[in-house]
Parts: sequence; structure tokens; C-alpha cells
Amino acid sequence: MASSSSSHLPASVFNPRRHVGVHAERVSDVASTEFPGHYPGEDHSWNLAKFKENLKVSVKRLSQRSVEFDLVGVDASIANAFRRIMLSEVPTIAIEDVFVFNNTSVIHDEILSHRLGLIPLNVDPRLFEFRQDIPLDRNTLVFRLNVTCERIKKASKDGPQYINEYVRSGDLEWVPQGEQESVFASNPPAATNKDIVIAKLRPGQTIEMELHAIKGVGKEHAKWSPVATATYRLHPLILLNPSKPVPPHLAQKFASCFSSGVVKVSPDGQVSIDDRHLRKETMSREVLRHKEFEGCVELKRIRDWFIFSVESEGPYTPESLFPEAIKVMRGKIASIREAAEALLADSHDLGAAPAASSGPDADGDVEMDGA
Amino acid sequence: MAEATPKIRILKGAEPDLSAATYQIHDESHTIGNALRWMLMKNPKVEFCGYSVPHPSENHINMRIQMYDGLSSLTALLEALKNLDDLCVTIDDAYTHSMENDRYERWDEKS
Amino acid sequence: MSSQPGNNYGNSYNNAAPSYGGAQPRQEMSYLCADCGSSNEIKPREPIRCRQCGHRIMYKKRTNRMVQFEAR
Repeated sequence: MASSSSSHLPASVFNPRRHVGVHAERVSDVASTEFPGHYPGEDHSWNLAKFKENLKVSVKRLSQRSVEFDLVGVDASIANAFRRIMLSEVPTIAIEDVFVFNNTSVIHDEILSHRLGLIPLNVDPRLFEFRQDIPLDRNTLVFRLNVTCERIKKASKDGPQYINEYVRSGDLEWVPQGEQESVFASNPPAATNKDIVIAKLRPGQTIEMELHAIKGVGKEHAKWSPVATATYRLHPLILLNPSKPVPPHLAQKFASCFSSGVVKVSPDGQVSIDDRHLRKETMSREVLRHKEFEGCVELKRIRDWFIFSVESEGPYTPESLFPEAIKVMRGKIASIREAAEALLADSHDLGAAPAASSGPDADGDVEMDGA
Repeated sequence: MAEATPKIRILKGAEPDLSAATYQIHDESHTIGNALRWMLMKNPKVEFCGYSVPHPSENHINMRIQMYDGLSSLTALLEALKNLDDLCVTIDDAYTHSMENDRYERWDEKS
Repeated sequence: MSSQPGNNYGNSYNNAAPSYGGAQPRQEMSYLCADCGSSNEIKPREPIRCRQCGHRIMYKKRTNRMVQFEAR
């Protein structure tokens, strides 16, 4: 095959079992089939050594806000678990309680409270506990917001006319409680971005409130989500049919059906795929709309090659979000394992029949009495 | 409420030897459900494994496991949990290794 | 106490809470003029009129009690 001969991609990428078909109006072979008993004579049982050999994690791009990395050789259920955890179960700190002493601005207390909750704070959640009921210095951060707008007496004609016309996230004043003064001495709690406009004021209007920030997770409320977005997509693959090459006079048109740089056209009109730029392909399926290219090309995605894109918003650096998600995942596994081991110990104690051990209504149904 | 909800309980109708049982796992979702189901299906001794979220407003999942040869599904569940943990460690190590040793593009993103 | 069930809101506010409001000497309420924004104290049975500009629309000031909200 033309595209595999001079490829930068590993040869195993061209194994049709790893391909998800992308057609004009549908997709095919979406589900993974590599389970014991699916292929006669093949062993697909769990094998850690084999998994280690096939797994490839490779970081592609990193900035101070986002990271892109490839996770190759895992099932969608695993990749999806990490994506879901990054969105909704990695904890952060956000404002939860708002005590309004005065607010004469035009923005309502409720709306203002909601806006305050959504401000990302720069506090490392690992230094905090989840608040159970009583606010303590280990679980609650206190901020004050005291802003009054006034007219500038001798304002120049085209300069600003008021002071505190805009209430910004930078106006939040941290009020240290208990041991917090020393714990956060090097990095005082504040908003990650000081320029978020919370409200606009006119002379005489004032806002006075106290804010309590606590630790939480994104599944409770999106304000606790540590990411702006965490997504993955499957690596695209374009297979040219060697027995039906693209006619040289249509080569440019063929190339323009794909993202720029994906298809190369040689001076004599020969078409080839540039594997280094293949990941940029948007999979628009434009090429499938043209009759003259029918049978020339097949569009695929690689079922176990996940291109993750994670944008951090909040205290975590983008590169630390994925390891945090793994940590949360392992915590979940540990808690289920503990419960399952207790269940196993119970069943040994009872000798047999541990089923329905939690009473006759173990399925939650109400047992109807004969009487 | 008399007592805290247990993390796992075995629903009514399980085989006495636990060769087939439905486990109700409290406070979990598709995140663990699908990953654990996949790992259980990787076990050749498992005849069938499936999970469901019975209702979106109820905070639990049901995991059904049926075994060949009258083996214990609880043992299979524990094994799957251990394997899943090994998988997590492997991925964590590979990610950390790539972050520290690979050459990748670093760029300045305006916020 | 109210003899009519189902009509407790208005009655309890006036009769059953002597410790709040009623015990203190009644002070003048301060209102804001809708036109010029100045603060005006208006006693009961006094005409509603701004002392500065004569405007007849007044706004009640916001409560000085603390109000708690959830940031959601």
C-alpha cells in the first residue's frame, strides 16, 4: 500500500482490526472485539506485560494553559473514564456561600452570587479537606468584597470619570483564618485571572459581602471543574487504494478535500499522504461527496489511538491534570476493592449463601406480606 | 436513615455460590462501570458481564457478572479491580516518562 | 391570637412579635429620591415629596440585614 511504505506511523496502525470506518453518512466497526472467545484460537485475556508493551503515551504540545497528548493502546472505556474524571471528579476550590451585607448595584444578589461562584481560584485543593458541616480553617477560605463607586472630582474630559466603575475578580480580599496565614504565605489565595468583571457600578452604588470558598467536585456543580475542557478524538487515517489511483489532473482537487498539508501532490500529479500531518485532518468527508474519487480512498480512525486535549482552568498546571485523574481513579478502585473484600470475608464467615445478605429487600423492592 | 448505604451489596437473585450475581455499587457511575465491565470481560472465566445505571437520579450502578464452571464472581470482581489498578499505574508511569523525557512542542498561550 | 386559621402571616407579624420593631421608638424612615437621588426622611402622614427637588417619587432603601446566598 502506497501510504504504508514510507510511513512515519508504526506498521500496526494499518491492521484493519484497529480501524473504525468513516463513511459518508455512517460509521462502522465502532466496538472493540478483542475479548476472550471472540476470535477462535486467539488469547485476548488481560495480560499486563502485553498491555505495557502495546501502551504508548506521548506528549505532543504543552503550554501554560493546555496540553495535548496521545494515549495509544487502551480501550475507549478506560480513556473515557479518565476524561470523565478530569471533567467532574478532580476537586478544586470555589466560592459557595455568599453573605450580602449591602448591594445597591443594578445586578441582583442571586446573579452576583452565581457569578462569584464561577471565578476560578488559584488555591491548591490538596491543602484542603471537604467541608462536612462546620467551617474550619482546614476547609473554608474567606474573602471580602467591599467596593463603592465614586465620581472622580477633577476628572479629565476623556479619561475615566469614576473610581471602581468595574468590580473585578482582583478586588476579592483574602481574610486569613487560623493557620492559613502561614500555609498560604508564599501564594496568597486569589482569582487566577484578576481581570474578570463581576459587576459594573455607578457613583453611590456599593457592594459589601463576605464569601466562603470550599472544596468540591465538578459533578456537584460545574464551578468546581478544574478544566475548561478535556476531550479526546481518535487518530484519523486515510488509506489510498493502490488499484485505483487518483487521476493526475484531479490531484489538486483531491488534495483540497482534506486539511492543508495532509495530502501531498508530486510535480507529475501523484497523490500521497503526509503521515506527520495526518492528525490535523478534520475528517470532513468532503472527498466522499465527489463521484470521481469513488473507490480511490477510504477514511478510517484508529480505535485505540486517543488524542487528548486538556485545557486547565484553575489551580492545576495542565500537565498535572491527567495524573490527578489517575489518582482519583485509583482511589475509587481502592474503595470498591475494600468493600468487595469485606463482602468476601462475610461470605467465608457464613460458610455459604451470602447472597441477599443485606435483608430481604436487598433490591430495594418492598416485600409484600401475605397478610 | 438507620445506617449508611453500603458501598457494595449483592442484589436478590444471586446464585448461592455467587457464580452469577448482580452487584450494586453505590456512589459510582459510567466512569467506573464501563471500565470495570471491560476489565471483567477480559477475563476468560467470565461468561457474561454488563452494567447499568438504573436511573440517572439514583447514585449507583448495577454490575452483573456470570461465571463459567461455577466459579465465584466476587473473586473475578476483585481480580478485575486489581488489574484495573495495575493498568492505572502503568498509564501513570508512561505519561510521567513521556512528560519528562520526550521532546514535544512548548508554546506560549495567551489567556 | 388569631382565631382564623389560615390567616396567620399578617397577624403574627403585627401581634406576636413584640420584641421586633414594635418595642423600639419608631424612627423616621429614610427614602431616596427617584429624580435627584438625595436621601429624605419622611415621617408618617407627611407628604411624600423630596426636600431638594420636589419630586414625588421615592424609593425605599435596601434592607441593612445580611442576606445569605449559595453561589450556584
